[in-house]
Amino acid sequence: MIELRDTTKVYVSGGEKVHAVDGVTLKVDDGEFVAVVGHSGSGKTTLVSIMGGLTRPSAGSVHVGGTDIWGLDNRGLARLRSEQIGFCFQFPSLISTLTCIDNVRLPASFARGETGSTEHALELLKTVEVSEKANAYPSELSGGQQRRVAIARALVNEPSIILADEPTGDLDEDTEEDIMELFTRVNGEGVTIVMVTHSHKLASRAARILTMDNGSVSENGSGADDSPGDGR
Amino acid sequence: MVGIDPETDFTVGPWLKNNLNGKLGRNEVILGSNAHIFFGKSESKVGDIETFYGNEFVVVGILEPTGLGLDDGGFITIEAAEELAQLSEITAERQLEIEPGQISTLMVKVDPQADRGDVARAIADAVPGIAVVSSKELMTTSVSRQLETMAPVLLLIGVGFWIIAVLLIGALFTMVVNERRRELGLLQAMGATRSFIFKQVMLESVQLTALGGAFGMAVGAVIILLLKSTVASSLGVEFQWPSAGFVVGFTLGYLVLAVATGVIAALYPAAVASRLEPYQAIRSGE
Ligand SMILES: Nc1ncnc2c1ncn2[C@@H]1O[C@H](COP(=O)(O)OP(=O)(O)OP(=O)(O)O)[C@@H](O)[C@H]1O
Ligand SMILES: [Mg+2]
Repeated sequence: MIELRDTTKVYVSGGEKVHAVDGVTLKVDDGEFVAVVGHSGSGKTTLVSIMGGLTRPSAGSVHVGGTDIWGLDNRGLARLRSEQIGFCFQFPSLISTLTCIDNVRLPASFARGETGSTEHALELLKTVEVSEKANAYPSELSGGQQRRVAIARALVNEPSIILADEPTGDLDEDTEEDIMELFTRVNGEGVTIVMVTHSHKLASRAARILTMDNGSVSENGSGADDSPGDGR
Repeated sequence: MVGIDPETDFTVGPWLKNNLNGKLGRNEVILGSNAHIFFGKSESKVGDIETFYGNEFVVVGILEPTGLGLDDGGFITIEAAEELAQLSEITAERQLEIEPGQISTLMVKVDPQADRGDVARAIADAVPGIAVVSSKELMTTSVSRQLETMAPVLLLIGVGFWIIAVLLIGALFTMVVNERRRELGLLQAMGATRSFIFKQVMLESVQLTALGGAFGMAVGAVIILLLKSTVASSLGVEFQWPSAGFVVGFTLGYLVLAVATGVIAALYPAAVASRLEPYQAIRSGE
């Protein structure tokens, strides 16, 4: 279970305070599939990165599986990121100096302190249909292929929570469908999924939709406005 | 030409003892390393016969260079020298005016515990008309003395360069860390601990400095091999390798210093790298 209590993130940019996440209180139960929609700049990425232990909130708390994650020490946080959370970033996030398969194996090496099994990594690359690029470097892949490798990487440690920030951002409809099927299947196995999307169509695949507006979250919002919007 | 008493002499005496059983014959001469120049030769060899003041002498030994004036001369027995002086009346182109028993220099080996100045004063008081020179003054002309005064300067220059190197490597790695913020943030997001990131930056720095150290040492060794004879002859000394133990110790010490340099230089950038907030760092690459 993910539980946010009055969680706030304030950025100071150019002398001005931006409440990227503004006093959000919410619960995501184990095994839920939640979509987060909202205008560009409404704070979706900030919200999921706080949940995933990647951005420290300015105020409030985040509990994952009953643990106050921002009360953990560095080692504890690293362990949480490694063992419990699979994060798909909004933008290309592969390590450019590693081959695709080594990128997928990387989180496994942090979790178990060894290199991580090649077969398992290859299997995951097959699932996302980029196994033929296993030994290629990220720069040799298309944006969509890179994204799929990143999804395979998020799955490698069999996390209990997947935080996906616009995971199908630049994928064609067929591949998008494949990824959604993969997420649905993984979710069926009990993995909690929080997925940020601009697409109302994709959001409707989730059991629950959260709408973000100016740092605030409202339940079961319509998510009707899916325009990528007003820039930042 | 220096006439010595082989029995009591302690300048070439030890050499004589080691090489010729301490015996120097009436017609034998030991030459300094540069004496051949005065014969107009490119080299003198043991067994050569040279004429001094009309007297023939057999070269029985050639000394190693010392960097002192002695390199230009030769050593014969004091008896031979006196005879030479007497016979110069008949044999030489120009007569030597040296009375039997007359000497120019008396070397006094001072007990290590004794004060050189006291001994010098005592001799000066006891023997009227004598000029006393202590070895310290003689040494000022020697190469080792020159090097002795240069060593602290060289050390200071070395330390200066080392400090600059540490600062430069630190600046370089701060730039590297900055450039790779995104990657470092991603590693943390994948589950890397802060200490892993810290060690990673350290490791790269140490690899760089250890490699640089080894490379520098190799270049230094090549330069010494190529230039040793040039340097030795320009200083007027024989090139001598330090002992194997010294070379091994120096090499190890140098490598330890190189590694330590890497560690010290990377402390700040590694600390910065390990303190990045993952998402902030990842975003900075956008
Ligand atoms: N590091 C930062 N420094 C300053 N302001 C920031 C920072 N990160 C985010 N913000 C601001 O916080 C707000 C929320 O940003 P966030 O990236 O969470 O939006 P988003 O909903 O994910 O947008 P998008 O749909 O475009 O990805 C924006 O106004 C943004 O400008
Ligand atoms: Mg975003």
